[in-house]
Amino acid sequence: MKRLRLAIAGLTACSGCQLSLLNCEAELPQLIEVVDFHYFPMACSPAVLEGEYDAALVEGCLSMPHENVLLLSLRKRSRLLIAIGTCAAWGGVAALRNGESRKELLQATHGSGRISSSGYSPQPLHAFVKVDAVISGCPPEKEELLRLLAGLLRGALPNPISYPVCTDCRMRENLCLLTEQSRLCLGALTLGGCGARCPSMGVGCEGCRGPVPEANLNEALDICQQKGYDRQTVIDRLRRFCPEWKS
Amino acid sequence: MSVHFITANRLPQLLHLLRQRGELHAPLRGADGVVRFAPLAAGTLPELDALRTLLPPKIYLLPPRETILTYRDDTNYQEPQVTTFPLILFGLHPCDLAGIGYLDRIFLGEDPDPVYAARRSSLTLIGTNCTPDQFCSCHLQPSPLSASHDLFLQRIDDGFAVSSGSPGGDELLETLAELIEERELAADDTRRFFGSQLKQPPQSELDPYLLDWQELAGHCLGCGACSICCPTCYCFDVLEFGGLDGRSAERLRHWDNCLFKSHAQVAGGASFQKDRAQRFRYRYRHKYRGFGQLKGIPSCVGCGRCREACLAGLDLRPLAERLERGVS
Repeated sequence: MKRLRLAIAGLTACSGCQLSLLNCEAELPQLIEVVDFHYFPMACSPAVLEGEYDAALVEGCLSMPHENVLLLSLRKRSRLLIAIGTCAAWGGVAALRNGESRKELLQATHGSGRISSSGYSPQPLHAFVKVDAVISGCPPEKEELLRLLAGLLRGALPNPISYPVCTDCRMRENLCLLTEQSRLCLGALTLGGCGARCPSMGVGCEGCRGPVPEANLNEALDICQQKGYDRQTVIDRLRRFCPEWKS
Repeated sequence: MSVHFITANRLPQLLHLLRQRGELHAPLRGADGVVRFAPLAAGTLPELDALRTLLPPKIYLLPPRETILTYRDDTNYQEPQVTTFPLILFGLHPCDLAGIGYLDRIFLGEDPDPVYAARRSSLTLIGTNCTPDQFCSCHLQPSPLSASHDLFLQRIDDGFAVSSGSPGGDELLETLAELIEERELAADDTRRFFGSQLKQPPQSELDPYLLDWQELAGHCLGCGACSICCPTCYCFDVLEFGGLDGRSAERLRHWDNCLFKSHAQVAGGASFQKDRAQRFRYRYRHKYRGFGQLKGIPSCVGCGRCREACLAGLDLRPLAERLERGVS
């Protein structure tokens, strides 16, 4: 089998998604056999984009012009471009304050001196380029990343998930935190596939994997309201990972 | 009527004897209050008063996710070796027994599923009766399904009237002889909820434009709780994942749900059930009218799990009352 030639890049993000891949320690020796990590600045230096790639895996959102240049170059050179993690897919935590004035945000962060920044409101990859597949999560599950690579080896894209965290949670026979304990849990609106990590530990879903397809926002807001959480509180919570949620 | 009877104070001895014949599982209440089927340790009593476990006993026959084929480039596709061991499920209610009976029809019918068959043959089912609550509907709807069991323990007065429902149950009764006494009783058999053949008038096709489908869809969160918790929902998806060595693969069967966007989706993204309203009609058809070889056989056993588990409080029962029995 031909080795898979990959480019793995990080844009505005915490690098946690790339780290998740590097944390697959048991599988790394096997991965090196089948994958050529040709461009992966976080793990291998020197890293220079060169020639074409079977796929580009991109973590993070875009907030600086040089990131657009890199993203466009990756897109041009790669047969497939895959968004890795919630920031790349939806904007993520970097886009948390996208509705607010950039100027005021800069002042609040860096003080009132003269600050020049060419940055702009963080945007997900799909705002600029065609994205062939998305692996969501903050960070994505290791298993998802390994399956992605195993699939790419065979020229296959990952099977998109279409169910929410609630599905994972029920399968684990967990107590429903929202209905039984009146705790705010975003599991019904959030893309599943994490095995309901947080609710299984007694922590309400924070929505880190972004929206599930066909999310029924109105119904979920009604249910949350019955449990004592007003609509704006829930929307604000949802927007921490995905600014596209609208009230 | 003379019945075999085991007094309640002999329950620990009964469980002890059963445990010698296999791993014993029964409903247990966790520290979080959730009742689940779990291994019953010596000295522990099962939660017989709880009406329903969160997940039904189908988890023992059709796990949420399992490997059905493995591939290697030197051996091609192979069926997995299923290792089973004698497993005794204790304290199953009639609805759950009927649910297993329904799954048997699906998976042990014309073309038996080898993995299911292996698991099923290692199971011993011991049922017990219960009293329906507001979520249950076994007592409201006639059903052609019967509660299949090896032993059934009918709770009466100070103990259990015990009856066998299979050759395995007969044999089990013999090994329990030291605990059994004969009593004269007018045993009221609550398994009656199942086994009354449903006589239905010929049904017209379900209206695809019925407003109820839209109404249900408007509230549904698409979480799949209704089918995950259902003792007879068996729809599954099959996915194949390649190994990182580039030479092996694993084909998985995992639970699916008819309300998921992906359920009726085919290659290229087209779908036979584009929206949730259509999917509700499909779900209703399967649950209350059956299709394929089981056309005309409703698969709802009235356990009430879907009603209790639904975050949005959705309930197909009133619709079924209206569409199947003309009760408005």
